[in-house]
Amino acid sequence: MEFPSIFWYTILWLIFWGAVGALVTPRVYAHKDKFTHQTAMLGAFVGAAFGPVGLVLLWWFTPPVTAKWLTLTGLVTLLWLSLAFAKADPDNLCVTSGSFIATQIANGLVIGSIYGLMALGLTLIFSILGIVSFAHGEFYMLGGMVTYYFTQVWFPDINPLLGVLVAALFTFALGAIFELLFLRPMITGQIERPGEYAILVTFGLAFFLQYTTLTLVGASPKKVPRFFDYPRITLPSETGNLLKVTPGNLTFFDTISIPSARFTAMMIALALLFALIYFLYRTWTGKALRAVSQDRQAAAVTGINPKRMNTLAFALGGMLAGISGAALVQVFSWVPWVGIPASSRSFVIIVLGGMGSLPGAFIGGLVLGVVEALGAGCVPDPNRAAAYLPAYGMIILVLVLLLKPTGLFGREL
Amino acid sequence: MRGNMRLLKTLTWVVGTGFLLILPWLIPTRMHVAVIALYYAILASSWALLAGYGGQFSFAHMAFAGLGAYTAGLIGKFVRLTSAPTQTCFEVPLGGWWMVIQDTASPTCLEQAKATMPVGSLIVKLPPWADIVAGILIGGLFGLLIGALVLRLRRTYLALFTIAFAEILRTVVNAERDITGGPGGLKLDPLFPNGVTLLGHEFGPADKLPPYLLMLALFLASLGLMYWLAGSRFGLFIRSIREDEEAAASLGVNVVRYKILLFTVTAMIAAAAGGVYAHFVRVIAPNMMVIKEMSVVIAMAVIGGMESLLGAAIGAILIEFALEQLRNDITVGSFTLNMADWRLVVFGALLMITLRFWGNGLIYPIIQRITRRGVAEETVAKRLQAASANPEEGP
Amino acid sequence: MIELDVNNVSKNFGGLLAVNHVSFQVRGPELIGLIGPNGAGKTTLTNLLSGALKPTNGTIYMNGQRIDVLPPYKIARAGLGRTFQVTRAFRRMTVLENLLVPALAMHPTARQGQFIKKAREVAEFLTIDHLLNEYARALSGGQQKLLELGRLLMLDPDFIILDEPFAGVHPKLMEIIYEYIIETNKQGKAFLIISHDMETIFTLSKRLLVMAFGKLIADGPPEEVKHDPAVIEAYLGSDSDEPWKPVRKVKKEVVAA
Repeated sequence: MEFPSIFWYTILWLIFWGAVGALVTPRVYAHKDKFTHQTAMLGAFVGAAFGPVGLVLLWWFTPPVTAKWLTLTGLVTLLWLSLAFAKADPDNLCVTSGSFIATQIANGLVIGSIYGLMALGLTLIFSILGIVSFAHGEFYMLGGMVTYYFTQVWFPDINPLLGVLVAALFTFALGAIFELLFLRPMITGQIERPGEYAILVTFGLAFFLQYTTLTLVGASPKKVPRFFDYPRITLPSETGNLLKVTPGNLTFFDTISIPSARFTAMMIALALLFALIYFLYRTWTGKALRAVSQDRQAAAVTGINPKRMNTLAFALGGMLAGISGAALVQVFSWVPWVGIPASSRSFVIIVLGGMGSLPGAFIGGLVLGVVEALGAGCVPDPNRAAAYLPAYGMIILVLVLLLKPTGLFGREL
Repeated sequence: MRGNMRLLKTLTWVVGTGFLLILPWLIPTRMHVAVIALYYAILASSWALLAGYGGQFSFAHMAFAGLGAYTAGLIGKFVRLTSAPTQTCFEVPLGGWWMVIQDTASPTCLEQAKATMPVGSLIVKLPPWADIVAGILIGGLFGLLIGALVLRLRRTYLALFTIAFAEILRTVVNAERDITGGPGGLKLDPLFPNGVTLLGHEFGPADKLPPYLLMLALFLASLGLMYWLAGSRFGLFIRSIREDEEAAASLGVNVVRYKILLFTVTAMIAAAAGGVYAHFVRVIAPNMMVIKEMSVVIAMAVIGGMESLLGAAIGAILIEFALEQLRNDITVGSFTLNMADWRLVVFGALLMITLRFWGNGLIYPIIQRITRRGVAEETVAKRLQAASANPEEGP
Repeated sequence: MIELDVNNVSKNFGGLLAVNHVSFQVRGPELIGLIGPNGAGKTTLTNLLSGALKPTNGTIYMNGQRIDVLPPYKIARAGLGRTFQVTRAFRRMTVLENLLVPALAMHPTARQGQFIKKAREVAEFLTIDHLLNEYARALSGGQQKLLELGRLLMLDPDFIILDEPFAGVHPKLMEIIYEYIIETNKQGKAFLIISHDMETIFTLSKRLLVMAFGKLIADGPPEEVKHDPAVIEAYLGSDSDEPWKPVRKVKKEVVAA
């Protein structure tokens, strides 16, 4: 099926005027002696949203860049895209069925909360150690694998939450050991090029963990049944208009349907999120971690051991990824390389949210979850929709790096 | 002393090249591995130029190789030369011939055209060398583009950006089955479709010796080019950019130009390797661009020595042979080790340990020992001399 | 003959006016000191001159050519060289290679061999000739500083900016650096030297620029500047004959209290 060209022309139009806006606007602001900070981004958004007319007005008035303008123009751009999409493919479920969209978005948010949890781990590592762990997805993979072996092979009748706990402990320990053996030398000055070393050694760890797992457990997909069967509930009891729960599914308002395995996973993610917030803001160790992330030297002076905080941060980050994997092993089938796309997703999320920003990571996770769900549900050719799944996030990553490398909530570089 | 050094270097090159030339007679049954090893050697050494010399930690190198391979493959699949205009297909006149570009929308246009074209008209494919050259140009174009886009990005951001580029490219190739064949792969002609005659000996299209010699020639040419670049002002400048971009600019180095140039050159070399590789293996799949392949190339360069083109190349060749050799199971008494799986585990561990304890790799220190022999002694002697002439300043 | 015109240059960092409408001229091989309390905008000003930062306002002309719009490498080629507050030798390159980079950058068609002799002379002048084939990372901090100065000699600019050349340097090396400045100045090069070492800067420079809170508050011979009320005010916030020396006394008093 050929997709009508109107959609592509719209995209070209948006890109063209967006690029013109991004390239010219900073010069105009500079010429008028105004702050050029973020004007490239504003120019791109205005160009995409309102075309040449908007750009001329922008260059004429050169208003200060505010979040309000960015949000407004961003939304208008999205609106154009949706309209063009609706015009191009009027029979698409995404255009005709509101409940389908609602379900996709709800499921996107559910999965997104897990992505967010995982990215939270990566951003925690970045904010303390200043590195990006390229092996983050492998912790996620191992979390799922450990849960599978613990609850399905070794102790078949055990409470699955115990499996999650074991996965958490395992990935925590693994993270700590790796940090002590391979990352500690970076801060003690034994490594000549710490920045490059961190990239390569975590990359090596990813490779090592993937093939060790492959050798030990084989390539056949592992499947864990959903952790909990939900009781049958209907609200109100006669029609079930508000909520209908079956062992495998939840339906809200008769329209939004969420599989219960995913719902359980989201609950685990939310519980972890609150535990993490409590830990970081209410306990001494958590406060020490945040102190180190803001100013290493100052923290060291107040009696915090930054080296120990490094180990703790890397182990905690790995553990968050491990728990994410443990929570999702009941949703997806598990192979030794599930970590690769998971890593990529975490990269997208932390760049989108802003490197080192904790709220940014979680919100970025939700955004990516929704984008992927809509992409998978709305792209007309289902084969292609699935095949392009890894690309949606990557396109976000490229756009963010080019337009605003600090992300949504990032500190200035 | 200096004269001896030069002699030693020349001798090393002559012996090394000679060894690679007679290799086919030493291991006639492993020629396939030898060609693949050279393919990796080209990629690892060009990555070493990019990352080790230039400090640009790009993960898009395999994507450039993939671009070269797929450009060659797609030209073979969709582009034909005809001696007469078809009038039904999209075509461009080209010095008396017509270049026809087939289209997935009308795949049968050439068949239809055959009826109307004059009798005796020829429809031929482009020769392999031509589509490899096209692949190199496309690779260079994308290298230029990526180089320009990542100018402001440093280290981790650059790594993430290039991973994203590589993944998007792989996804597109994977998804557009009608054009690229998707995961099923894309078929190509052999490097020498009609065979070739070398030194009076005839080789068929399936023989491994001519492709080996071609890959060897490409390897030596690219290594020579890169050594020449590394030894020229280009090498000096990209190393100064690696060390400190701002300081380099303050000393008059055109940082933008040399960074873009570096990306373009290494992308072209990778694309060339990819094109020759594609015609050699004859079926390419998007898997040649996965992160794992990139890890292998990076690991080869790191273990060989990232800051040495020769070290990276030797590392790649040794590791490729070692990996192939290790496919055989090891049996100790009643205990059998399935090496087909374990070898990659060992490889990963080796990568991490090398990084941790031998930041310069395992091969490069040996090379350095030979080429920088005497420098340390010389310095110590000079320091002592300076100290004796100027007593209050210690060595 | 160097001519530098800094006209009304400002730099705004998201609301903070780090450099506030600064103007001054340089004519010929002057030896100028630039002083001011921490955060006065001295380093920002050097970054504006060398093109590492672009001014939000104002223009900079060198020898009649407008340079504030040029990329840093073109400014360097136009004849403005600088060092950095923290030494930035190319650590994983040999001393010789460090010295060759600026020479080759300045002469796009030259061959490397042409400059080896000159590099050797420069290294000899700076007493690091025995280290030519060593990697820069093997040098001591002071030697790396000398190497940076050597790179400037190879770049051969008309106008040299030194950012804290005496900070944390061994007295022996300080002598060498001092001599370097005097010698190079005699060869017709203008200097702008940022320093906190008041004694040295007062004896060395013939003209002093004083900055405080982004503004240029004084410009003149050291003796004159010393007694300028605005300068005293900036350093101490109170009257004093010698603003720089009592600073320590004040600190002591605070500690005692």
